[in-house]
Amino acid sequence: MTETATHCPYCAFQCAMTLSPAPAGSPEPLTVDGRDFPTNRGGLCKKGWTSGALLGETDRLTAPLFRTADGGFEEVEWDVALDRIAEAVRQSREEHGPDSVGIFGGGGLTNEKAYQLGKFARLALGTSRIDYNGRFCMSSAAAAANRSFGVDRGLPFPVEDLDAATTVLILGSNMADTMPPFLSHLQGARAAGGLIVVDPRRSSTARLTDDGAGLHLQPAPGTDLELLLGLLHIVIAERLVDETFIAERTTGYAALRRSVAAWWPERVQSVTGVPTDLLRRVARRLASRGGTYILTGRGVEQHVNGTDTATAAINLALVLGLPGSTDSGYGTMTGQGNGQGGREHGQKCDQLPGYRKIVDPAAREHVARVWGVDPAIIPGPGLPAVEMLASLGREGGVRTLFVHGANVVISAPNAGEVRDALTRLDLLVVSDFFLSETARYADIVLPVLQWAEEEGTMTNLEGRVVRRRKAIDPPAGARSELWILAELARRLEAPGRYDLDPALVFDELARASEGGIADYSGLSHELLDTEVAAYWPFPVGSTGTPRLFLDRFGHADGRARLVPVRATAHPERPTEPGQLTLITGRLLEHYQSGSQTRRVAELADSQPELRAEIHPTTARDRGLADGELITVENHRGTVVARVTTSTGIRPETIFLPFHFADDASANLLTSDATDPISAMPEFKTAIVTVHAIGAVAPLETVGASV
Amino acid sequence: MHPPRPVRVVLVGFGPVGARFAEELLPEVVAGRVDLTVVGAESGDPYNRVLVAELAVGLTEKDDIVLADSDELRGSGVDVRTGVRVVAIDREARTVLLDDGTDVEYDRLVLATGARANIPTLSGVARTIRDSSTLGRLGHAAIGTDDALPTGVTVVRDLADAETIGRAVAAKQHIVVLGAGVLGLEFALLAARHGATVSVVHTGAFPMPRNLDRGGGSVLSRALRARGITLLAHSPAEGIAVHTEDDGTTRFDALYTADGKHIHGDLLVLSCGVGARAELAVTAGLRTEAGIVVDRDLRSWTDSRIYAIGDCAHIVENDGQTDTARLGGAPAGLIGPGWRQAEWLAARFAADVTGTEHSDAPPAERASVVMLKGEGIDAVSAGAISAEPWDPRIGDVEPPNVALWADPEHGRYVKMVTRDGVLEGFVSVGMPRASAELTMLFERGGELPSDRSLLLRLDAPDEPVASGTPAGPEAIICTCNAVTAGTISDAWHAGNTTVACIGKATRAGTGCGGCKDRIERIIADREATLGTPPALEVTA
Repeated sequence: MTETATHCPYCAFQCAMTLSPAPAGSPEPLTVDGRDFPTNRGGLCKKGWTSGALLGETDRLTAPLFRTADGGFEEVEWDVALDRIAEAVRQSREEHGPDSVGIFGGGGLTNEKAYQLGKFARLALGTSRIDYNGRFCMSSAAAAANRSFGVDRGLPFPVEDLDAATTVLILGSNMADTMPPFLSHLQGARAAGGLIVVDPRRSSTARLTDDGAGLHLQPAPGTDLELLLGLLHIVIAERLVDETFIAERTTGYAALRRSVAAWWPERVQSVTGVPTDLLRRVARRLASRGGTYILTGRGVEQHVNGTDTATAAINLALVLGLPGSTDSGYGTMTGQGNGQGGREHGQKCDQLPGYRKIVDPAAREHVARVWGVDPAIIPGPGLPAVEMLASLGREGGVRTLFVHGANVVISAPNAGEVRDALTRLDLLVVSDFFLSETARYADIVLPVLQWAEEEGTMTNLEGRVVRRRKAIDPPAGARSELWILAELARRLEAPGRYDLDPALVFDELARASEGGIADYSGLSHELLDTEVAAYWPFPVGSTGTPRLFLDRFGHADGRARLVPVRATAHPERPTEPGQLTLITGRLLEHYQSGSQTRRVAELADSQPELRAEIHPTTARDRGLADGELITVENHRGTVVARVTTSTGIRPETIFLPFHFADDASANLLTSDATDPISAMPEFKTAIVTVHAIGAVAPLETVGASV
Repeated sequence: MHPPRPVRVVLVGFGPVGARFAEELLPEVVAGRVDLTVVGAESGDPYNRVLVAELAVGLTEKDDIVLADSDELRGSGVDVRTGVRVVAIDREARTVLLDDGTDVEYDRLVLATGARANIPTLSGVARTIRDSSTLGRLGHAAIGTDDALPTGVTVVRDLADAETIGRAVAAKQHIVVLGAGVLGLEFALLAARHGATVSVVHTGAFPMPRNLDRGGGSVLSRALRARGITLLAHSPAEGIAVHTEDDGTTRFDALYTADGKHIHGDLLVLSCGVGARAELAVTAGLRTEAGIVVDRDLRSWTDSRIYAIGDCAHIVENDGQTDTARLGGAPAGLIGPGWRQAEWLAARFAADVTGTEHSDAPPAERASVVMLKGEGIDAVSAGAISAEPWDPRIGDVEPPNVALWADPEHGRYVKMVTRDGVLEGFVSVGMPRASAELTMLFERGGELPSDRSLLLRLDAPDEPVASGTPAGPEAIICTCNAVTAGTISDAWHAGNTTVACIGKATRAGTGCGGCKDRIERIIADREATLGTPPALEVTA
């Protein structure tokens, strides 16, 4: 009986788990157990516990599919599929230039696959057009961290450091639903009464502040920036700042101080709805003795001012002297399984492996040497995700698109436009293990491997590289993406090596990253198999960097930048009576577009359909009852949802999780306006109206409880 | 071909609004499309006047209220001249004259001269009426200057005032405040909190009469008294008495009122509202009323090259009327609208000099929210608040809807005046969370929940959660795995008597582990009521 030590297929917390053969008679081939590890300490959430369900009898894809004339799919041989793709690429390049072929990657791909995808794009396709779904979920935090710290690593400290904290301020993250085992690290702050959660909704995470465990601030959607400017104003005005730290480790304080002079508490209250006494209490608590951490998530980032909002949070942390110590800090909560590693090794349109800038001649030189090519043949920067998707099938845009590890018809903003855009393509090739909603739009679908069927590495939210290990043979017919890329590269007569063994690909990645910001050069699968605590940068000869900023920040002078930011009017605000502000988010039971978790019976049974959370008063004003079906509409689209009332949401706000398909996709309503710095879209504040559908189909439980 | 000559913009006034305008226009200066000259009467960098009282009592420091850096602006090519007054505008020559004798030419002139504190009619306190005949008589000396006040009498406006007040507060002296508007009360609260003895003298029945109704004002009175402030209502001030110090100088001694009260004190703080500093416009022949009269585009009715923003600007839609009938209205007197005007006008100028479209309409202001700043005290109002719940219909006009909550005993009062669910006005005293929510809804023009009591409940203590007793069967105990108390209880009945067993059976407690003590409590509760469950059946 063999056990395999690996990590969860889902979020960035990458809980350690053990996979072992299931007892006879089990519908699933493997049994999943939590494994002791500094992050999850043996715990798993419902998603992790049930992850084995997708390895058994499912609607798994086991052969390449071609779209047929009648709109269905037929199975074809791999050679046929790959020949056809290579031919189409060649033709598109000849007729429309190399940038007519594009790749849309994912933050769930292993480091090895993400790296190889970036290399394949630049060398085999010769295209600049590669970006990924991480643009939807981390780019603003990354841009802010790079601007302020000179380096972007989600948590620049080990997650266990949080255990000793007495104050933790969380903005825009609902980790109680998205990565529940993380909560064990918040127990200290809760016990000290210092968990402070900022969310327009009384989310599961906000409820952790109950019973004296802390404070929940409930600002109006889209006002996080003003809230943070107000907190900065108070800590500066009340002289709660760490003057020594500011003097020795930062630059730009004078301009920052001037920039927040205009945000006195009463003004902040009038914008956010958060009373001044609460603002003052929070500011003073953050400055109190004992460990203090500030953590931000998608809630602050998924706005057109997301980079500035994340920057304001960093400024707050810096003036309090939190980063760079052993008991305090600032961090951002990475979302996707390999959201961190996925943005470091070349699938971002402006980057090369090692978190290098693609426009930097030295970076190009270095990577070209590792790839064995002339730097001149590496294309320049491409287009960020939203822009690339908008270009599909348009003049000068992408005409042939590869999608890997992403389900854009659900996860992209303004998803209706994206659905239309996909139909404009000459060719859409989707690699997935299920016929995802995006795969349904494909001309060719390629079946690939699941987490327990492959070797590789992931980089968790702490910048710690962990090993993913194979526990089970894949179904006949499914292939590794490394194999697919190698086969296509061969057909396209591409320069460079395309190894099939993930360990070899990792070794190449390590060399390519050497000397970069995210330096993996001292790591290998072999070393990782010793369970070394592999926090990057991990250059040759080092033992890794658990705490990134102890001595210096990433800028040349070693100092962090205090970057003044300005609040600007929000693009979408209700203007008509009856309008609500839509905020989107996640459920405990589902991961991302739900392509996996909606197939797990236990998860789907408890969250089978889209439910719209609204305040009971809001529901009553519109004559809506709990359990009633409604449409949620705006000029971008219409979704169908079932009403769930909750006093935990602000009356002018409506919450939809985005995990559901077809006309239950919340992103049919969200805006594709983007942040000018990070190109990350505005998911969080769309203006909508709600309407009863008429036919009332109450839930059984609702009917019974009257 | 030569590039076009930069447009010469002269900004008069370097307070918060002027500073914002300069900063917003900076990119055009850097790009060489605008030559900007800034003239400020005060020396030093512009600062946030809203916080002068805080500065006075030592709650904040000078550097913390500075809004812009003159040297930085100079470094970017702005000609910043501080400590110098503009004393005349020559509209023919398009120049402004400075009190150092120099001229500056302009293509566009922006007046951001702000406001000065009103000096009430008081025997013993001299004041200048800045109408055109007086100004003509006094000449340049009355332009951009303030009247000298007797020793021991001050206003709360600039850094020098802050210093005077700071000394009195630090010495825990008796301060008499004349006027119970929002600024006077904010100052009174701060001074009282920092140890001064404070008396507030005012004319009406209750404080903040322009902003509060009787209910709100009465509740606020109680709150102020509870903070040790003496309120002297119905007391129209008539004059001041002075005494002679040992060195022969005279100094404020007492304020006396029409009903014969003498209120002795060490310092008299005048807080009787503000008036636009419009004398420069008056002498230049621009139309003025409550301020410099400008249209919605912030352009003077009289001279299309001259603009006004902030506290000195009286915005009236110019519908072609040129008669001398009173126009009505007044500057908002608040900083938010001034900043929005500064941003808008700078954007307009930038669009003009770059030849691009500036389509945004000028900022339309709702009635302003007035909020009493002060820790631990809360009074906010906005809009039209005079309506009462039972007001009758007058002709065809439906009265607005009014919802009211009054609990004077506990210092709480809320009035919400709405039409179609949208606030026309509100008063909220002693209910900070309701205030915050109502303020935000008013600013946004948002709809109120039809159940208005929802807003009152925001100030209720958090719902009590029975943490000592097991929750109902539907309550989620393990959030990580969404396991309910009922499921855990069922598992216990099936023979799982330890936290670990229950974890194996239900996954409760197998995520973050934060609920293990609650699972233990459920086990203890089951054991206490039912003894032990049947042993778990062990299958081979």
